[in-house]
Amino acid sequence: MSVDQIDFIVNDCLLAAGQGIGTEKSVDFAAIAWWRDRYRRFFLHAITVLGNSYEADRARVTAVGRYLGQRALFHAASSPSIDLRAAELASHDVETGCRMNAVREGLSPGMPAATA
Amino acid sequence: MNTDMTRSDVRPTAPGFDTTIDGGPDQTLALERVVDAIVDDCCFAVGQGVGLRATLDFDAITYLCEHFRPKFLMAMRHFGNRWLEDRQTVTAVAMMLGERAVRYANGAATIGLDDVRRAAADVERYCQLHSARRTRGRGDANTEGATARIAGYWCTWDPKP
Repeated sequence: MSVDQIDFIVNDCLLAAGQGIGTEKSVDFAAIAWWRDRYRRFFLHAITVLGNSYEADRARVTAVGRYLGQRALFHAASSPSIDLRAAELASHDVETGCRMNAVREGLSPGMPAATA
Repeated sequence: MNTDMTRSDVRPTAPGFDTTIDGGPDQTLALERVVDAIVDDCCFAVGQGVGLRATLDFDAITYLCEHFRPKFLMAMRHFGNRWLEDRQTVTAVAMMLGERAVRYANGAATIGLDDVRRAAADVERYCQLHSARRTRGRGDANTEGATARIAGYWCTWDPKP
């Protein structure tokens, strides 16, 4: 999958994050915009610099997207909606897990989007 | 497709943000960016509607984006950026689209392109009927522009291209 499909890839992952949240809570627009900015950069780096293949990695990446949504739901606790803070905490959880996974698989740390 | 845009500069910052786009290269680019952010928001909401009941094929997601993005763009060009006003309604419709897609997948683990196409047709039909009813209720019968305005992002047709 080429770089010109990067926006579709981000859409795919945001949709997966929405799946993890479900209809229980709404999500602030700022949180979605923040996720989009952040992961678009990561994915672009993974594909262009590290040479990752989204076709090969899609199942794993979208699974992580769903997990991201579930973590955001957790961090939102009793709030009626998922705000930017909950989104940031969820990203921290997920990226920490991805870095640990990368180290376990013998890849260099500091490349969360490439391995998740 | 532009691959190096950032979305942080297009985030609406004020409730009820409403800007009429009057053309020109800068405005067009700004509009494209806003529409990208709206497509993201709607994809997210579709996912919420689907939940963990099924996954979606990549071509189904590509179809959604390619199908609705021009409609969103058209709506923005005609009515300005009303996203913060309309967001709750539009994302609710996106969730409905996800729900319909799950139904069309009929218990399959994966939602395919045909399922999403049928779901999209359902929500567009729903929006058109709803908008026509509201237009009549407001006494604007036979005003295509008024109907399109109410139909908003999901099924806007262009009265005067």
